[in-house]
Amino acid sequence: MAISEKMLDEILNKYPAKVKRNRKKHILVKDLGQDQQEIEANTRTIPGVITNRGCAFAGCKGVVLGPLKDMVHIVHGPIGCAYYSWLTRRNKAKTDDPKKNFLAYCVSTDMQESDIVFGGEKKLARMIDEVVEVFKPNAITISATCPVGLIGDDIQGVARAARDKHGLNITAYNCEGYKGVSQSAGHHIANNNLMEHIIGQGDLEEPPGRYTINILGEYNIGGDSWEVERVLSEIGYEIQVVMTGNGSYEKLKNAHVAQLNLVQCHRSINYIADMLETRYGTPWLKVNFIGIRGISESLRNMARYFGDEALIQRTEEVIERELAEIEPQLEPYRKICAGKTAFCFVGGSRGHHYQGLYEELGITTVLAGYEFAHRDDYEGREVLPHVKTDADSKNIPDLHVTPDERRYRLKIPVERMDELKKEIPLSNYNGMIEEMMEGSIVVDDLNHYETEEFIRILKPDIFSSGIKDKYIPQKMGIPTKQLHNYDYSGPYAGFRGAVNFARDVAMGFATPTWNFIEPPWKSKPLLEGTIEPCSTNKCAEEVGA
Amino acid sequence: MPREKTHYRNVNENPCNMCMPMGGILPFKGIEDAMVIIHGSQGCSTYMRRHIAEHFNEPIDVGSSSLNEKGTIYGGAQNLFQALNNIRRVYKPRLIGILTSCLAETIGDDVGGIARDYLKQQGLDEFPLVAVATPGYGGTHSEGYWMAVYKIVAGLARPTAKHGGINIIVPNLSPADIREIKRILEMMGVRYTLLPDISETLDRPIARPYTKIPPGGTGLEDIRCMPGAAATIQFGLTVEESLSPGHYLQSEFGVPLYNLPVPMGVEATDLLVSRLLEITGGSLPRALELERGRLLDCMVDSHKYNAQGRGAVFGDPELVYAMARTCAENGLHPAVVATGSGNSGLKRLMEPVLAECPEDVLFLDQADFMSIRTACRDAGVNIAIGHSDGKFLTEKEGIPLVRMGFPIHDHVGGQRLLSIGYTGTAMFLDRVTNTLLDNKHKNYRAAMYRKFYWGFKERGHTC
Repeated sequence: MAISEKMLDEILNKYPAKVKRNRKKHILVKDLGQDQQEIEANTRTIPGVITNRGCAFAGCKGVVLGPLKDMVHIVHGPIGCAYYSWLTRRNKAKTDDPKKNFLAYCVSTDMQESDIVFGGEKKLARMIDEVVEVFKPNAITISATCPVGLIGDDIQGVARAARDKHGLNITAYNCEGYKGVSQSAGHHIANNNLMEHIIGQGDLEEPPGRYTINILGEYNIGGDSWEVERVLSEIGYEIQVVMTGNGSYEKLKNAHVAQLNLVQCHRSINYIADMLETRYGTPWLKVNFIGIRGISESLRNMARYFGDEALIQRTEEVIERELAEIEPQLEPYRKICAGKTAFCFVGGSRGHHYQGLYEELGITTVLAGYEFAHRDDYEGREVLPHVKTDADSKNIPDLHVTPDERRYRLKIPVERMDELKKEIPLSNYNGMIEEMMEGSIVVDDLNHYETEEFIRILKPDIFSSGIKDKYIPQKMGIPTKQLHNYDYSGPYAGFRGAVNFARDVAMGFATPTWNFIEPPWKSKPLLEGTIEPCSTNKCAEEVGA
Repeated sequence: MPREKTHYRNVNENPCNMCMPMGGILPFKGIEDAMVIIHGSQGCSTYMRRHIAEHFNEPIDVGSSSLNEKGTIYGGAQNLFQALNNIRRVYKPRLIGILTSCLAETIGDDVGGIARDYLKQQGLDEFPLVAVATPGYGGTHSEGYWMAVYKIVAGLARPTAKHGGINIIVPNLSPADIREIKRILEMMGVRYTLLPDISETLDRPIARPYTKIPPGGTGLEDIRCMPGAAATIQFGLTVEESLSPGHYLQSEFGVPLYNLPVPMGVEATDLLVSRLLEITGGSLPRALELERGRLLDCMVDSHKYNAQGRGAVFGDPELVYAMARTCAENGLHPAVVATGSGNSGLKRLMEPVLAECPEDVLFLDQADFMSIRTACRDAGVNIAIGHSDGKFLTEKEGIPLVRMGFPIHDHVGGQRLLSIGYTGTAMFLDRVTNTLLDNKHKNYRAAMYRKFYWGFKERGHTC
């Protein structure tokens, strides 16, 4: 069911006038008649609407740094933020040396009132000594929470001193929660520091394989990255590093050797992708490993970039073999899913990526959106020159990198690059809106109230989002699928992941549980039977007995 | 490097507690038609909602004033005003709680003052706006919880005519536990006001239509009338007086306070029942007597298994005290007792319990899981009882975990765990016993092999 302007107004009328005006700019109905539809994004959250957005700390430590497995990530601040970002994203990792996987550890300076008053630098410095002694990590990060910036702890200074003292890569991130308007600010801060202090620090000069790539913006939730890597390795790609799912400092510092960077989540990592191109001449390719069409196209685009016939052929072989394996498995699930509708609201890339997979199962996405994405993630990178920078985005400065004199290399000739750009999303992303159907709704920073109202009007068959909002539709009797952490399932990426996803979604529709919500006494009589004339005294006798 | 054993820690490695505003949210979720806002950056409310939702499997709406860099310089009053306006408009709450965060406290925002200004500006004289200072560095979620309950009572309670009811003030228990307390009270014919009452709000049945604020919770009028009660029963032995709502009602309004342990285990439940009989002058319902008998029967059946347990008990101070006592009653003597809180009352309370344990007990306050893990290893612990983060002990040391308390984020059903009263205690003990038995069945062949072929001496009866 399509939504009319009037219905939209009805939803928004509940807000005070100013809020209504604001929120209206964050919502659009896809209209093919319009050339370019503009949406407002990456602006301040309205206080008091129950947003699903997090903060800069969550984006920096929680998303980008957290998955790096051989580093200890120190949270400098009171205990809460360290606790809340402890293993909460299900980014899996394994290491050859079990002593070099620190993901299960939550390490914090646990600042107390006295530290807020007198400063926490000394405590942090002592703590780094302890961490080096106890964990012997390959590197250390320090992430700041709100009070650190306010009391003026110089964590960069502490990190520098500790770097000299221990001869270890120790980096500090001023990702205090109040910076920027969402976790997006934290991604940017993490991107800048990783680029400045870690990437390129390794001494590898040549790519280890014939087709060496990095995967950027893949966080290995539920093992997604492993499923994608399985296919890539079979085709013949050498993966230098995944940023940052199952990633490591040891691999990351040599990220400069790759011949191509793949970008899965554009929002959280496009800064590094751009900077890698400027500094080392490595182009990036927007990929989408979710859904069969997504992964097939991405694999074909990669092969075209390298332009090697054998690679192209191998790619086709692998795709064909994978499809032969999964298609029969998908069939029964498609029967259950056909004709259904979905909401797809996730952080910064999945809101887009999962629409394709839904479509392949016969499910139409009627509403989609991002928590914290920017206009380019909706409208495509061509809007970038027109995006006005406000005070909030200026607070996170861009890191300006220059070509590395020794290591900058054009990976393919300029003319071929220009040609390829016309065919494949090389150093480009066209955004979510382009792929959406006429009449579908795009909502930026969807909040609890709007979630509820849109569900009432559009009555989707499945709601896919995160743990904070999933219980609202569930209470309303609508199945949900968590796309942040997959409800402890996964992987959902790649070919085999698509089957897992189809199975889980179909299970959501097919569970008999929904049939019991309406109690029998509401829909049918409690007693069934016919009334017969009581000719003998039998009835009375029975009652009497 | 030796770790500092003082109050002043460097590394906190795998914390055993969360921060103050987290605890502060929960009581507001147990008030009728209430909403709560965290004054700070929006990450605080998002992170906490996420964790509370995962424990209760319920939507947890908590507003945020979404402070940003500008707010840190000019103060956050404008943002908070806006947040209050929007929450009132969309949710129509009858009470709003405002919790502060590290950010609001560090920049020195006076939320009490901002709240008063807001009410004045809006011409809302009567609207209950309860401001609670809960800086993340001010204590753990346990202190945040009690601080919020205290402020709710202090903000709402008014001199009232005596009404003869009883105030029941509860710590952070599961909704199932709260329902059990209410059942006992009703069985005994007690008129009561239970605060905060999350029994319906945080364990909400599927019911249409969906409402933004879940039905249930302690009535505002009932809280206002708490000063008119015949007595207060508070399950808060570990609570400092300055955070104790029961003490407040006693000193301000002269309501007699019975500060009791959480009614878990025979002795503590007996204590509650006797106090209720004393206060009401009623007699013991037959059904409750039967429940007590069944619990004793359960304990007699289970003591032989439980006596083989060497337990580690950790979590919120009030619950740790209750769990340790309950285990000890059945011969499962705790070997490690730990809390992330710096609560001084717990240690004092635990002393007589610990003194009766046949072996030395390691008591840790301000503990993290690294120190708990070390203690468990030293003490030969073979069963852990506490919240989900104790799974670290299972992963690293193979010690099975009985999930109990808050948060339970890796299992479902945290909201349905029943562990108090005679019936709940029996259910709790069964979970403990069965975990010991499962572990025994799982390991006994290997243990026998080690014992007889290799001559290893097992510690803590793992076989």
